[in-house]
Amino acid sequence: MKSTFAMLALTTALTLPGIATARPVTMTTTLTNYGGDGAYLALYVTDPQGAYAGSLWMAGGKSKYYKHLTDWYRFTGGNTSQINGITGASVGAGRTLEITLDLADALFDAGYTLHIDAAVEDMRDSPNEVAVPLTTQGAGTPVKGRRYVADFSYGM
Amino acid sequence: MRKTLTVLFATTTLTAAIGLPAWSAARVPHDGALPRPFAAIFEDGQTALPLVLVDGHDDDDHGHRKASRSDHDDDDDDDCDDDDDDDCGGSAGNAAPAGTVAPPQNGLFGTGAPPQVKVN
Repeated sequence: MKSTFAMLALTTALTLPGIATARPVTMTTTLTNYGGDGAYLALYVTDPQGAYAGSLWMAGGKSKYYKHLTDWYRFTGGNTSQINGITGASVGAGRTLEITLDLADALFDAGYTLHIDAAVEDMRDSPNEVAVPLTTQGAGTPVKGRRYVADFSYGM
Repeated sequence: MRKTLTVLFATTTLTAAIGLPAWSAARVPHDGALPRPFAAIFEDGQTALPLVLVDGHDDDDHGHRKASRSDHDDDDDDDCDDDDDDDCGGSAGNAAPAGTVAPPQNGLFGTGAPPQVKVN
């Protein structure tokens, strides 16, 4: 009986930090009616020094177009292992992309910045379309994009 | 009896002498070789037919592409068009879609729920 409680305490102690250090975050990106094909979007994070920290989402499945997501491509070299399991379809003009990810708490209020690069076939590439600091205070506040993104927000 | 055998032998010889060259002439090889009187016996006319390979791949001066595995022609208007409907088959080089594998271990993701996506 004593050993059962000891095991329970141990597993709880190991599990709780994992639960406590991540939370579901919903990211909502609404595109303008730019009048073109589906947009490729790369959502990625840079650390306080501006270095690439990792990717959060790739909207658009064909790797041959990733070079048009110029900043993301410069950071990653187009390495698709960066976006395995976090890749979906491109997003049409005027549509809203809503992604819910289980993100580490350490990303918030620690100087990290979320970036969105955007590209549309036969239209101008738009690196750093959105750049927004990840803070708990900034949650729910819409941020306007430069060309293709009407607004972006994240909620926790 | 001997007379009958003689006649039979003569007709058989005559038939062979006239018939075989005629049969051979009807089975002239397609490689331009001159017809030979007894070709029908000594070679199979069917094997002389040229082998025609049917292929959708126009190999104009691309003899070095030995590993080509599709009916994808080498000009610029390729069959893998650049639209978003993935009708080209083959996903080599593309990332694994969400839900098929776990997100990358880049320190940004927790170990909880897998990504969920919705487009409105």
